Amino acid sequence: MSLDLSQTSIDLVKSRFADEFLGEYAHAGQRWAEVKRGRIIEILRALRDEVGFNMLMDITAVDWLNMGKPERFSVVYTLTQIPSGDSFRIKAWVPEEDPTIDTAIPVWLAADWGEREIFDMYGLRFNGHPNLKRILLPESYPGFPLRKDYPVTGRGERYDFPKHTR
Amino acid sequence: MGLDNWLPEGALTTRVDELVKWGRKNSMWPMPFGVACCAIEMIATLSSRYDLARFGAEAIRFSPRQADLMIVSGRISIKMMPVLTKIWEQMPEPKWCISMGACASCGGIFDTYALVQGVDNFIPVDVYVPGCPPRPESLIDALMKVQEMVEKERGFGGAPIVADRV
Repeated sequence: MSLDLSQTSIDLVKSRFADEFLGEYAHAGQRWAEVKRGRIIEILRALRDEVGFNMLMDITAVDWLNMGKPERFSVVYTLTQIPSGDSFRIKAWVPEEDPTIDTAIPVWLAADWGEREIFDMYGLRFNGHPNLKRILLPESYPGFPLRKDYPVTGRGERYDFPKHTR
Repeated sequence: MGLDNWLPEGALTTRVDELVKWGRKNSMWPMPFGVACCAIEMIATLSSRYDLARFGAEAIRFSPRQADLMIVSGRISIKMMPVLTKIWEQMPEPKWCISMGACASCGGIFDTYALVQGVDNFIPVDVYVPGCPPRPESLIDALMKVQEMVEKERGFGGAPIVADRV
């Protein structure tokens, strides 16, 4: 059952957005399509309106530093359809030199905080986002921790507090 | 000795500071700084089965102005650390601190960019309680060690004591 909407979605992207389509993949029974970031909002809108996904389950990003991928970052949208539970993933590549992509808020309001989290952790900016600021880390935090070139233990921010003694 | 002849039955003589220390140690009002999983064990300790109230910790006021013992229970993120410092500064002297659990004592298993690796880097801790989370009996033991510290010392200070294994 869950493969049906995946096939419909992949067919739609391949046919209507052939210039943006970069490939379809599958792993462990789950399929996804990879696209360029240029018309991602139209693609998401088409998937919502024509294929029938009514929920943006998740929006996240991956840093593929030094792994031989087309670009450094990919933004991953997971769409589902309630009540059947069918889901589909679409991944958009974002280059390191210009780490921006259009915001998905016009299509899915749920993308608001997800995009803030991606900005907080990876530094990808979303064009047109009404409130793109950090959501998990303190506002004054200087780096983007989930990038692969950022150390797990940080760069000393966790020691930067006043010390009280007796 | 001579004074006993003049006192009615049932009256004791003591020194003023002994009396004050006796009063302090038997009425340690905790400021429960519960932020994570250790807070659950702290709440269990305060509830009827383990009953911290029998040690005088009856008044669990969440106002630092009315407390003299801060129990830091849980992992402290870098976003929370200024709050912890402010609460510590708002507590009036004399005050003591129990660092409950592995995360408050040393960062626990979370050696990351976002967590403070032990609150003793920034506030003076008197007793550390190991465990993840510590059993309520361990926390009671820690409170009893704070009571010993109150009784023995003149003023503050004293080396930190690690609570024994239950």
